[in-house]
Amino acid sequence: MPGEALEIAARSLAISGTATLLSSTWSIVLAYMLARSPRASRLLVPFLEALVGIPTVLVGLLLYLLLSSQGPLGMFRLLYTPKAIVVGQAILITPLITSVAYRVLTHSWSMYGELALALGAAERQAARLVFSESLPGLAAAVVMGFSRAFGELGVALMVGGNIRGYTRVITTAIALEVSRGEFGLALSLGAMLVAILVLVSLTLRFLGRLRER
Amino acid sequence: MRAAIELRGVWHTYPGSRRWALEGVDLEIREGRILAVVGPNGSGKTTMLKLAGTLYRPTRGTVRLWGSDFWASDGSQRLRLRRLVVYVHEKPVLVRGTALHNVAYGLLLRGYPPEEALERARSVMERMGVAGLASRERGQLSAGEAQLVSILRAVAAEPRVLLLDEPTAHLDLEKRRRLASLLRELRDRGMGVVVATHDYLLARRVADEAVVLEEGRIRVRGPPGRVLEV
Repeated sequence: MPGEALEIAARSLAISGTATLLSSTWSIVLAYMLARSPRASRLLVPFLEALVGIPTVLVGLLLYLLLSSQGPLGMFRLLYTPKAIVVGQAILITPLITSVAYRVLTHSWSMYGELALALGAAERQAARLVFSESLPGLAAAVVMGFSRAFGELGVALMVGGNIRGYTRVITTAIALEVSRGEFGLALSLGAMLVAILVLVSLTLRFLGRLRER
Repeated sequence: MRAAIELRGVWHTYPGSRRWALEGVDLEIREGRILAVVGPNGSGKTTMLKLAGTLYRPTRGTVRLWGSDFWASDGSQRLRLRRLVVYVHEKPVLVRGTALHNVAYGLLLRGYPPEEALERARSVMERMGVAGLASRERGQLSAGEAQLVSILRAVAAEPRVLLLDEPTAHLDLEKRRRLASLLRELRDRGMGVVVATHDYLLARRVADEAVVLEEGRIRVRGPPGRVLEV
């Protein structure tokens, strides 16, 4: 099992890392657009904040219906593949990353965006300063998104199928071991999951401190 | 003499607020003059300065910069006009880096070569007697030093109109005296200066004209000696 556990951990990292990268790309752009548009943000932000806690099984179910062979996206044959989990996790964490990044960028714009414009910056220069000064906050939003993706079960189980050596990730492996009555193994996998999350968070903090120096 | 900045029939409200922050304000800001804006907290001083500095778009009314309707201008014209005016926030906001880098920052944004921007920044800091702060990081500056750096950053950019929001809020007596003398020097060099302040002493000492704002309206305007007695 140790060899398989490491393989599962590596797969989980790759899937959730890709989902986080994908989701961060559009979520941070969307957050910036909302931060620059008070009217749109008044309508959209409460909606996004409500979706932060959406049950993972619901996202999994909706995606299952879309990706199943009778579904509208069935022709892509994504169901029970790692790609399906990536898409599902990326969708799942979009409201979380967007709403946290929106808070960070709104605060940062009111300070640094205004400062840059007041000093005669073009909008592009102001945006560059805002992003540069927001990096620690944006990194925190990304870490939160990664944690949610890495620790979720519903999407991975419903659209991944927990196929050994292919779509099995830490959370689905834990669920499987619990159903087999292998609580010790399930707890070890759980400890590994938490250790990876802490390690990712500490690494980003360390990088942030290096940048501040 | 034509006004550098004109606010005509300006009303302003913030998104989500039902209250007018400014109600029908008319104001002219001229180069080579110092205008003091006084009034209680929440009277609209900051809003008026940010509108004059084109950081906010008025809900109603027009803001003209050197005769051009700013918000009706195209992007490049706006950028050109915006670079003639610098607004300095009450709470000093410094970017990552040293005090010298911060003073040079406005020049860097305007495309000055880094060596020239830093040289100009150094000279402005020396003139104000704070060259010793040059190598300090933003986190190593006191509130007063940070405020002075943010004011010098605006001065170094050499705008034609300087808008200062509560510039003495964090300054000790000696720095206030130095600031007053700097403002008079800038005025004598032809720069227009607007100072929104609770510091009546500074306003009386440097201003050529004063306006009193109350509840978003200009109640009184005239020579500081008369207006600031009200």
